Amino acid sequence: MDQNSFPSSGLFGSYGAYSSGDPSLNIPVTSGASGSLSPYLNVDPMYLNQGDSQFIIPNGQARTRGRFELAFSQIGSSCLAGALYGAVNGLRISGVETKELAGRVRMSQMLTLVTKQGASSANSIGVVALMYTIFGIGLSWSRGTDDEINTLGAATMTGMLYKSSAGAPKMLRGGAVGLTLASVYCLYQNRDKVSSMMSGNNSQY
Amino acid sequence: MEEYAREPCPWRIVDDCGGAFSMGVIGGSVVHSIIGARNAPAGYRHRLVGSFLAIKHKAPVVGGNFAVWGGLFSTFDCALVHIRKKEDPWNSITSGALTGAVLAARNGAVAMAGSAMIGGVLLAMIEGVGILMTRMSAEQFRPVNPQMEDPSQLDQKGPSFGTQYQ
Repeated sequence: MDQNSFPSSGLFGSYGAYSSGDPSLNIPVTSGASGSLSPYLNVDPMYLNQGDSQFIIPNGQARTRGRFELAFSQIGSSCLAGALYGAVNGLRISGVETKELAGRVRMSQMLTLVTKQGASSANSIGVVALMYTIFGIGLSWSRGTDDEINTLGAATMTGMLYKSSAGAPKMLRGGAVGLTLASVYCLYQNRDKVSSMMSGNNSQY
Repeated sequence: MEEYAREPCPWRIVDDCGGAFSMGVIGGSVVHSIIGARNAPAGYRHRLVGSFLAIKHKAPVVGGNFAVWGGLFSTFDCALVHIRKKEDPWNSITSGALTGAVLAARNGAVAMAGSAMIGGVLLAMIEGVGILMTRMSAEQFRPVNPQMEDPSQLDQKGPSFGTQYQ
C-alpha cells in the first residue's frame, strides 16, 4: 500500500497533519548508515552486533589456555627442537672431526656423533622446559592468577636451578639469563601495550 | 572423556613426547636419588651429594629414553590410524610392538623379536586395564531392575493409549 497514492485531503482529510509529505516523519524501516532508530525496535540495531567475533567465556576464567593444558606440548616441542638442533650441530661437528677417516668408519663415526649430540641437547633443553613448566604451574597455582610475574619468576627459578650445582656465582648468572629471556618474551607478548606507553598515550591503561 | 582430551593426530606426537619425557625425568629423579644415595660413600653429606649428582647426570637420560619411546609409539599410532582409518586397542598394541622392534634394531633379529613382544604385551596390558576400568565404571550407570514391557501384547490390542501409561 503506497502512502503517496492517498490524496492529501479527502476522506482522511482530518489527518492531513500526518501526511507523508512531512519530512520529520519519514523514518527509514532499516537502520542505515545514518544510525537512526528503526521503528520496529526499541534499541538501535547498531548496538546488537558490531561484526567482531563473539566468544562465550565462562565466568571468572582466564581467556587464555592454562599452563597445565599446554605443558606437555611445550615440553615435547622443546625436546624435539633440541634434538633437531643437536643433530644439525652434530652433523656440522662430525664433518670437521672425522676428516682423517674415510669410508664406513667415517660414516659410523659421524652417525654416532649425530645421535649423541642430538640426544644430549634434547635432554638439556627438555629438562629446562620441564623445570620452567613445573615452576610456572606451581606459581600460577599458588598465586591463583596467571600473568607475566609467573613467567618471569619461573624463568628465573629455572635458570637458578639449572646452574645450582655450579656454585653461587654461576647460579645467579643462570637466574639472570632466565630473567632476561623471560623479560624479552614478555615485552614481545605485550608489544602493543609497550608501544602505546612509549608514545605517551597512557589514557587507555 | 579421557580420550577426547587428547590432541588431534599429528600434534599428539609432540604431546606424547613431552608427557613421556616429563614422566621419565620425574620418575628417574626419584629412582636415581635413592640409587645415588645408596652408592655414595658413608656419611650424611656424601650421600646427599651423591644423590644430587645421580639426579643431575642420570634423570635427563632416563627422560630422553622415555621421550624416544613415547614419540616413536605415537608416530606409529598415528600412522596406523591413518592407514586403518579407525582407532582401537589393536593400534596401540601394534605400535607398541613396532616401537620395541625398531628400538632394538641394532641388536639383531632375536633381540628385535623379544623387544617387540615385550612392547606388545606391555601395551596390551595397559589397554586391557583401560577397557576393564571402562567396563567397571560403566557398571554403575546400569539401571537397577529395568522394567521391560512385553512386546507381545502390543500387536493384539493395537495402539490403545491411556491404559498402559498411567
